[in-house]
Amino acid sequence: MTDGDFLRVSDVSKWYGDEQVLDEVSFGMDRGDVTVLIGPSGSGKSTMLRCVNRLAEAQEGSITLDGEEVLSPDTDVDELRREVGMVFQSFNLFAHLSAVGNVALGPRRVLDLSENEARERAANQLERVGLADQLDSYPAELSGGQQQRVGIARALAMEPKLMLFDEPTSALDPELIGEVLEVMRSLVDEGMTMLVVTHEMSFARAVADEVVFLDDGRVVERGPPEQLFERPENERTGRFLERIASHD
Amino acid sequence: MSVAGPLALDASDSLGALAPSTASGETPLTAAAVGSVSESIDWWLVGDPADWWFVVRNVDYLAGGVLLTVGLTVASILLGFLAGFPAGAVEVYGEGLPKRLVSTAGVVLRGTPIVVILLVMYFVIGVPQVNLGVGSISPAISASILGLGLRSAAYQSQIFRAALSSVDDGQLEAGRSVGLSQFEAIRYVVVPQALRRSIPGFQNEFTIVLKDTSIVFAIGLAELLTRGYDLFTQETTAVLEVILFISGIYFVLTFTTNRALDYLGTRYAIPEGESA
Amino acid sequence: MAGATRPRTVGERVADADASAGKALLVAAGALFWGWLVVSWVNRWLGGAIAPVGEPFVAPDAVESAFAAVPGLAAVAADAAFVVELSPVLAQGTWLTVVITGVSLVCGFFIAVPLAVARVYGRFSAWLSLGYTELLRGTPLLAQLFVLYYGLNLAASVPASLSGVFPRDVVWVAILGFTLNGAAYQAEYIRGAVESVDEGQITAGRAIGLSKIESIYYVVLPQALRYAIPSWTNEFVYLIKYSSLAGFITVPELYYRANQVATDTFRYTAVFLILGAMYLALVLTASKFMERVDARVAIPGLGANRER
Repeated sequence: MTDGDFLRVSDVSKWYGDEQVLDEVSFGMDRGDVTVLIGPSGSGKSTMLRCVNRLAEAQEGSITLDGEEVLSPDTDVDELRREVGMVFQSFNLFAHLSAVGNVALGPRRVLDLSENEARERAANQLERVGLADQLDSYPAELSGGQQQRVGIARALAMEPKLMLFDEPTSALDPELIGEVLEVMRSLVDEGMTMLVVTHEMSFARAVADEVVFLDDGRVVERGPPEQLFERPENERTGRFLERIASHD
Repeated sequence: MSVAGPLALDASDSLGALAPSTASGETPLTAAAVGSVSESIDWWLVGDPADWWFVVRNVDYLAGGVLLTVGLTVASILLGFLAGFPAGAVEVYGEGLPKRLVSTAGVVLRGTPIVVILLVMYFVIGVPQVNLGVGSISPAISASILGLGLRSAAYQSQIFRAALSSVDDGQLEAGRSVGLSQFEAIRYVVVPQALRRSIPGFQNEFTIVLKDTSIVFAIGLAELLTRGYDLFTQETTAVLEVILFISGIYFVLTFTTNRALDYLGTRYAIPEGESA
Repeated sequence: MAGATRPRTVGERVADADASAGKALLVAAGALFWGWLVVSWVNRWLGGAIAPVGEPFVAPDAVESAFAAVPGLAAVAADAAFVVELSPVLAQGTWLTVVITGVSLVCGFFIAVPLAVARVYGRFSAWLSLGYTELLRGTPLLAQLFVLYYGLNLAASVPASLSGVFPRDVVWVAILGFTLNGAAYQAEYIRGAVESVDEGQITAGRAIGLSKIESIYYVVLPQALRYAIPSWTNEFVYLIKYSSLAGFITVPELYYRANQVATDTFRYTAVFLILGAMYLALVLTASKFMERVDARVAIPGLGANRER
């Protein structure tokens, strides 16, 4: 398999104290690709995601984004995060700001847009995720699904090259998951490059270009979804998929 | 703005009697304040060794003050607990007139400076001398205990009120369901949990009372701060040394009290970190 | 909440009527109190435009005879007249009490916020902050005022630019003392609130490219300062009450002036009771005001009173 080189993760390892959470993880993606990381909880997939925008620090290996080394000490971390959007499992919306305020904070304070430009950009992004009618609602007034869509709009407003999704639907009630996945699908259609950690296997199957199965911090198996889901080569992958399927 | 008025301040007022030991040039405190320390003083020593000696010579006198400070604190906290715990219970479980009386008294006591409460106890209510057979408690002491104690009761009632109402209603229901009366259920189920939860607030209150015993200075009771004041009015070059020394004593007292109550808190914590 | 679904008993309705009457009475008393204070202060600034400076607005004799005419109040007629006679002094002292409290509170706040942030997010600075707050909170405020006034004799070294603003320069010493002390207490309350802000908030801030400092400033503090309001109100109230300790270093504030009158006239009961009532009025005003502020800045959807 030829690895993409827009985002290249090569032999990334990380330890928390004595415990190794990532063990020489490697994969790559091209611009416009959608890669889904799957694996049991504690397998290191969220940590892997966070290493990409350096919310977590990898100790060994290399990650390049668009040809630039991410893990280099010379990398401007704030600059990196400007270019990489992130959506959190627990939304992490700024509790004191309205929907539009949440989305506008980055453009206003990081990109230095004027108050009006930032608001306008925020309103556009909220419209994009179907929340044009909730601009002035506060997070505590929104449903979980709506909050997560604001979270997506907040990341999009920075016009990122790459979007990271950290289990974006895991904290949602089942009936609210659909609206978030729908927004994510529309991003896929627009050609957004996305690295997604999720347990939504049908979503992965439908949109992923590649699925990476992590267990114990190691890449056990990776490949196109039809191959990995239908004909897993590794026995652990098969067992994991069976367990997930029995829950669905 | 003019201060002229019927009560223009004069030198004879009771509190301003001591003019701060002025900038008489060579007093050690001025030297320390300005930072130009004379050669006989090590660079790290605040003040003058001779004045520190003065403090050391009078350590027994100050120790008497410490004793009174600690005694006042303990007695006031105790009175505060005896009055404050029932008051907190009334605020949670009571209704009608008793509840309103208790909460109004609380608002008044919490809304008035402690110095005013002490003055009212001493001058207005005029607490009498209490004779205990072995010894007697002077009016100033009983006024201090009453003032500090009742004020503390008003605060402790809030601590206990919060702790009592933080215990889940289901606990009371569960107690009733095994056949306890309302009172018994409160007494054996709710109160033990509430008391543990009130330890952090109680800790805070303890140090507040300890520090506020210094304010009985207003009615001239010879506790630690008053004795310090007496000392430095006597030996005006040693003002800074005396105050820093007694401040140090207060700090040690509050610090050890806090650590001791910390220990108590962990010792009696309900397992699984429920105590917080 | 039960009252909304169940018909109310007669007793409850009486209690409600009582409560609202009591509330109206309290509001009226508050309006009278502040009206009198403000008019007194304005009168003094204008050099006695309304009444001669130092004279009450109502003649004490008139009050005395008015009280004496009412059977139930005759016994306190002399005291009432005395309180009226006292009123200019009380208003004058209250002015200083309010100014000292207000200035110290605001100055203390600007020290407290960095202290709290350092304590939560700093390394070395966290220890400095801890040391400062422990030291200031571990010793009596009165002892601290004594250190500044008697020990360091700061009243003699008030900068020329500040000197003369107040009737006595020692007022600045009191303000300094309350600022330093209040900063330590405010820092504790604000620290608690900062810690209560979910860690994910900073992570999210960092994820859109804000620096750590920016995340704290734009994301954490706006939330933490709101959450801190109820407990911070305690410090406000404490400072009003403890500002009375300034009297011990000869600051002519409310307590100091009242105490002087009491020792001059030996009318302890009337003076100290009215003094207590004055402080109570200030304290109640402050806490009601902060309740309003809390409700006003509450984040929609979150409870207005997130107490502790």
